[in-house]
Amino acid sequence: MSTVKVNFILNNKPVSLEVTPDCRVIDMLRENLDLTGTKMGCGEGDCGACTIIIDGKTANSCLVLAAQLDGKMVVTIEGLGSYDKLDALQQAFIDEGAVQCGFCTPGMLLSAKVLLDHNPTPSRQEIMQSISGNLCRCTGYAKIANAIEKACGK
Amino acid sequence: MAELSVVGKSVIRNDALDKVLGKTRYSADIKMPNMLHAKVLRSTVAHAFVKKLDVSQAAALPGVHAVLTAKDVPGLNGHGIIFKDEPVLISDKIRKIGDGLALVAAETEDIAQQALKLIEVELEEIPGVFDAIQAMDQDAPKVHGDSNILALRKILRGNVDEVFETADIVVENEYVTQMQEHAYIEPEAGIAYMEDDIVVVKASTQNTHFDCREIARNLALPQSRIRMIQAPTGGGFGGKLDISVQIYLALLALNTRRPVKLVYSREESIITSSKRHPCVIKYKTAADKTGKLLAVDVHAVADTGAYSSYGPAPVTRLAVHAAGPYEVPNVRIYAYTVYTNNPTAGAMRGFGVPQIAFAYEQQMDMLAEKAGISPLEIRLRNTLKNGSLTSTGQVMDVKGNIGDTLVPAYEKVMANKSQLLAPYKKRGIGMGCLYYGIGNTGQPNPAGAFLDVMEDGSAHLMVGAADIGQGSNTILAQIAAEELGLDFNDIKVTSADTGVTPDGGASSASRQTYISGNATLKAAKIVKEILVNEIAAWQRVLPEAIALKNKYVFIHSKQTDIAVAQLIARCRGKGIMTIGHGWYNPTTEPLDDETGQGKPYEVYSFASHVAEVEVDTQTGQVEVVRIAAAHDVGKAVNPLHVEGQIEGGTIMGVGYGLYEEIKIANGNIRTPSFATYIIPTSMDIPIVDTIIVEENANTGPFGAKGLGEPPLVAPAAAIANAVSQAIGVRINSLPLTPEKVLKALQEAGRI
Ligand code: FES
Ligand code: FES
Repeated sequence: MSTVKVNFILNNKPVSLEVTPDCRVIDMLRENLDLTGTKMGCGEGDCGACTIIIDGKTANSCLVLAAQLDGKMVVTIEGLGSYDKLDALQQAFIDEGAVQCGFCTPGMLLSAKVLLDHNPTPSRQEIMQSISGNLCRCTGYAKIANAIEKACGK
Repeated sequence: MAELSVVGKSVIRNDALDKVLGKTRYSADIKMPNMLHAKVLRSTVAHAFVKKLDVSQAAALPGVHAVLTAKDVPGLNGHGIIFKDEPVLISDKIRKIGDGLALVAAETEDIAQQALKLIEVELEEIPGVFDAIQAMDQDAPKVHGDSNILALRKILRGNVDEVFETADIVVENEYVTQMQEHAYIEPEAGIAYMEDDIVVVKASTQNTHFDCREIARNLALPQSRIRMIQAPTGGGFGGKLDISVQIYLALLALNTRRPVKLVYSREESIITSSKRHPCVIKYKTAADKTGKLLAVDVHAVADTGAYSSYGPAPVTRLAVHAAGPYEVPNVRIYAYTVYTNNPTAGAMRGFGVPQIAFAYEQQMDMLAEKAGISPLEIRLRNTLKNGSLTSTGQVMDVKGNIGDTLVPAYEKVMANKSQLLAPYKKRGIGMGCLYYGIGNTGQPNPAGAFLDVMEDGSAHLMVGAADIGQGSNTILAQIAAEELGLDFNDIKVTSADTGVTPDGGASSASRQTYISGNATLKAAKIVKEILVNEIAAWQRVLPEAIALKNKYVFIHSKQTDIAVAQLIARCRGKGIMTIGHGWYNPTTEPLDDETGQGKPYEVYSFASHVAEVEVDTQTGQVEVVRIAAAHDVGKAVNPLHVEGQIEGGTIMGVGYGLYEEIKIANGNIRTPSFATYIIPTSMDIPIVDTIIVEENANTGPFGAKGLGEPPLVAPAAAIANAVSQAIGVRINSLPLTPEKVLKALQEAGRI
């Protein structure tokens, strides 16, 4: 199959890649770039485990083609924080018990990140709305919402 | 009990950091050089004979390294938790949609997928049976052998018929419950490779030692030649107790001598994994005019699908818990586990008890009404308490009763009762109570632990218990740290790896805190005794005067300047090994085959849920406004984790009560995705008030019991009772969908 070239900014670094036209962003991240923090729960846009940030908005990376990233700014969980410097959301998720199996966690964090970037003092309702596309089967969501509240200093 | 330093504290789980950074490598994230990709050819029909299976074209496709069928299984071609009735690969008869026919390993997933299409299959379809009650008919098509009745569990006490003849109050109903999907967000996945002559399998699982035994039997290799390692697991809830990818991967790795990876799609996960048993329950209760229970007569039929999986065990647990947490002197329970050509039902969080709680708790409310007392009063009047006899004739050895959880939960909801907004909306409050036996029912179910306590005061704890997200690694480390006087962070846990850890049994039956916890405690006590004897001899005091706490040695309750690490190093320096092992098997007595009498569990947890619902009588929509969940956990080893279990389980129970349902037509799952199988999202959840009650169990580690499943048992029952209070009509089938609510209202002439 022919390939197309995509250039984009990934976690603050420029990336240039040859991908097949049918390559999904999730596969490019996980297979080509070995960024496996982005999880696949369904591959059909229903669970949000594959959530990433594209140009400041959340996206299900299983529904976006890699070629569509050309010229975009992309953030994955690997770009949110590091061992030395956790994002406030990551610290709050740890402290508030928002992580159980952890499979939904990267997607949850990025949905929350987009919320707080646009709305630093969201209401509980707005928090719940912002993660409504991210399924979590373990926690029942309350501790996740608590963590997001804590991260914005509430 | 002396004040605790680590147990009872909400220490931060040791896996959270990697998880928030996206660094945790779940099975699907693992890559190895030279790795092949596997796919499974699966049946799309429910019942058929295989006439031809020709893989030659597939095998000839460039990039394909192995195509395996039943004849390539060197050992027994069967697996299953209780009976080995599920073929690894089908050789003759297909019994359900999703049955595996052939395996392919290829250079890429695409090639493997193409190869599947090249396999020639010829089938002779035969009539199937898709209803458990029909399946019990002598003339029904048979799934296995000559009867579809896989098991009958009877529990018999007293004289039920006599009581029903004379009782003041009799309530009789039929209840129907649906099939529920676990819906862990991580689909099944794994990788296998050869390490010298050892087959290593790393996969998402709840029980590595079971997996290892199965693989060894199928591969006809000694168990020691199989190393089964649990990869970080993205939820299980009972659905990862069965074999999924493990045997397939082991076969392919052995065959190709290359690493092989297999990752299920969501659809494949839903189609192939076990589910919660759908049940039809006929329930008859007798009481005297004061509402005191006299007898229950229960007839339950559970559809276990095409293979036994855990099948009979949840149905036995259903039977054992069928009378609820109440004293009932006369009991007759018949619970059938029945094969059909439907998807397999096996273990799911709550293990049969959510189904029966939906029945017994609605019975309780109807009895209360007839006796003219409140739902609260009837439960308090009938509660099991110390010295009570259960349905199986076990004498309860407990400190409290159901009121200890029910009253605070009830008060919490009553104190927050909200105001109605619209006249067509109705509100109601309902309750659901339970007791729950910890560990496997009347069966040996031990767990082991190894502990290596090192010179620098750090320790390595090795346990078979699989941490699937519930946090057992954290809890067990807390228990070891507490006993040894070390910090939580001093304990490094390796879990669920048959090459390193002892058998911990399954992460199921709410058993790991209690059973692996006790095993860990025993291992720690052995090391502690070594340390205490050494310091006692050294300081010339009696061992009884010594305590190890907060990393220091205490003598006569006074802190010394001797660090525990220093003491360990002293022992090691003298050639005294500071290692320990422990195992624990709860004392139970098997249930009698005929009467079901016995001592099924060593310890029971108690819990109560009280729900407030709002029913929209125009749309039939039920909204749970608030649910208070009070759980007696014995001792909350980590309160934050306890809350997490209660919140998560309660929400799963709300989904079970209101909308979750695997819909099946002729064995075909019509809801094989998250678009069609709806689980609660953040927008669907009520306020959950968790209330932790701690009635220490004498036999538990630091008094702890078990907790994983009880939160899911009662929400559906409490919601059903609340709906009935709101609209004055009973709905006896789950889930409580808007259609059912509207139909019930219409039938009652209320709209
Ligand atoms: S994996 Fe993309 S939404 Fe589920
Ligand atoms: S923590 Fe397991 S799915 Fe959210």
